[in-house]
Amino acid sequence: MQGQSTPIGATIDIGSNTLHLVVAHYTPTDLDIVADEVNMVRIGESVTATGEISQQKLEDTVAALQQYRDIAAQHKADPVLVVATEAIRKAKNSAEFVEDVYQQTGLATKLINGNVEAVLTFYGATYEVHKEDDQASKLVGVMDLGGGSTELVLAKQKQLTWHTSLPIGSGWLHDQYLHSDPPTHNEVLAAETFLQSYFEKLPSKRYPPALIVTGGSANSLLGLARSAFHLDAQGDRLLYEDVIRCEGVLSALSAEEIASRYNQPLGRARILPAGALIIRIAMSQFGLREIRVSPHGIREGALLAYARYGSEWLLRVEKEAKQQKQLVSSATATTGKNGMRTESFAQSGQRLLQERTHKLLEWRDEVLKHEDVEAVHKMRVATRHVRAVLDAYQSIYPTKPFKKLYRSIKDLADALGNARDTDVMIENLQAQLEHVPSEEQVGVHWLVEHLKVYRRQRQGTIEEFFADLDGNALKAEIDACQPKKGG
Amino acid sequence: MAKARPIIGLNAQASTYKNARSVVKVRLDELYNWASFVDEPYRVRKLHNLRIAAKRLRYTLEIFEEVLPEASKDAVKELTQIQDELGALHDSDVMIALLRLCLGSQDTGTSYELVLSDSQDSKGSIDLNPELVATLVDPSAAPSAKERYGLEQLVLRLQQQRDEQYIAFREHWYQLQARDFHRELLRLLDT
Repeated sequence: MQGQSTPIGATIDIGSNTLHLVVAHYTPTDLDIVADEVNMVRIGESVTATGEISQQKLEDTVAALQQYRDIAAQHKADPVLVVATEAIRKAKNSAEFVEDVYQQTGLATKLINGNVEAVLTFYGATYEVHKEDDQASKLVGVMDLGGGSTELVLAKQKQLTWHTSLPIGSGWLHDQYLHSDPPTHNEVLAAETFLQSYFEKLPSKRYPPALIVTGGSANSLLGLARSAFHLDAQGDRLLYEDVIRCEGVLSALSAEEIASRYNQPLGRARILPAGALIIRIAMSQFGLREIRVSPHGIREGALLAYARYGSEWLLRVEKEAKQQKQLVSSATATTGKNGMRTESFAQSGQRLLQERTHKLLEWRDEVLKHEDVEAVHKMRVATRHVRAVLDAYQSIYPTKPFKKLYRSIKDLADALGNARDTDVMIENLQAQLEHVPSEEQVGVHWLVEHLKVYRRQRQGTIEEFFADLDGNALKAEIDACQPKKGG
Repeated sequence: MAKARPIIGLNAQASTYKNARSVVKVRLDELYNWASFVDEPYRVRKLHNLRIAAKRLRYTLEIFEEVLPEASKDAVKELTQIQDELGALHDSDVMIALLRLCLGSQDTGTSYELVLSDSQDSKGSIDLNPELVATLVDPSAAPSAKERYGLEQLVLRLQQQRDEQYIAFREHWYQLQARDFHRELLRLLDT
């Protein structure tokens, strides 16, 4: 590429984890990158916690953007495109955030949806690969593993054939499941169960034989593998075994140790176990032995789109994304329905059991908070769905594991049932209180107070029960319920 | 509580579509096995079993929703209503039984108490949680005379409420009978 004779532009990508700048000479098919900066701000952390972008995160963002604006100006970059993704999209105060950023930096931010994100990621992550003719004609997948979402794209002969945006990212998974530092074995197993179940439901009929993974976590993981296992410093390939070895390191060392030993930003080191896990599960689901890691993504994609379509770049990409979305939606509607229609009874039994148990365990924290009586009700209903699955599939499960699992679920249902029945009694009595004569009210008050005493005792029982309830043991019981051969 | 019947003749390697229908049919049979007790308002245990059977059928329809016709969602609504009606009835039965124990009275001679203390087998009565009973009959926290009077009034009102709940349930049940809900569901499973 004739760098100096081609125009130069910049893109800033405001993501859930990072703020990333790239300045490059651009043509419609190629980029010559002259500056590449990244800051770990983790806006998604604040959005996950409160639903909003906090004042502190706004200030951190503005500080980084001012710095990026100056770098872009030094290179005389024009245009300076700013795109914001999942975390900002989800935040309740996204409009105020965009306005504040504009007021304080002069940079106009475009909020892009997950489907646009997928298209731009594809442009950015593959422009180098497409220089290799042998790759261009093959089916290729791109996975942009972000902090708050993951974009998955499949393409053949440079044309997108399928894409989807999943609301799961490394920051999100960390915040939801992997709280300890390093994450505990149980936390990892719970996250793994969730991811497996999620990926299994992907409607794509065809998995790519080659996957390019982009995003901060993938690149940090490659850096970690290079450093820890002395991989080729120029290589961009990670084997499945490499990912497993990285997970081993990440499970043994704290984020601080990872950061200092392997030269990673601390914020990135914290969420890296989540990123590694998502990559491993995706590889496992797609049956891939290796992935390629690309340092490029949305930012480069936006610049290439600008080079191709000029000032209408976003409109054109939105149109392309919309066309793709229609294809994907119709595929989802068909294959989603057909999932169970085409599954054998044994397959649907395993899937339903995992999904329903996962849903059940999701209520655990809410029930323990004891703030909303509905949580107990919802969890109890979830136990009924699990029992309905067990009852339906009983004859194809081996007897012993079935009985063990059934007992575990029944015990849980009983603990919740006692609490829930009491909640209902209290609610009903309180609802009637105003409408009954005062002499009856005296009796109702007495009864409600005693029921409340009993309910508090039941909460204690639930807490004890949950303290003993090992999600992994339950998972092991589910795994043991493999349908009998020839059943 | 009656246990769910294991389903005979399922094939693990056959389609979920086909097997699911076999499962639903068994749950439907279970529901109608208890139908003869609909006209017996004080066979509380039997009505409770009817409720559990309705609940099982409902949840079975829900888990196999993907392979069942769209109309199964309407059936789920009817079953949810049956479940709610019988649930309210059961809640009243439990509360009345608890209060009677609490007040130490089994002697009013109404049909309700007669059934509770009648010669049915031991499985015919209501399951009361022993810890809850213990909390309410704790002598150290016994109700005062005023509170007792209030509780007596409450029992009388709950009995009246219970009669109304039963009538509402029965009316709904017969509406379903009139449209042949049973056959409707069987036809649904054949489509």
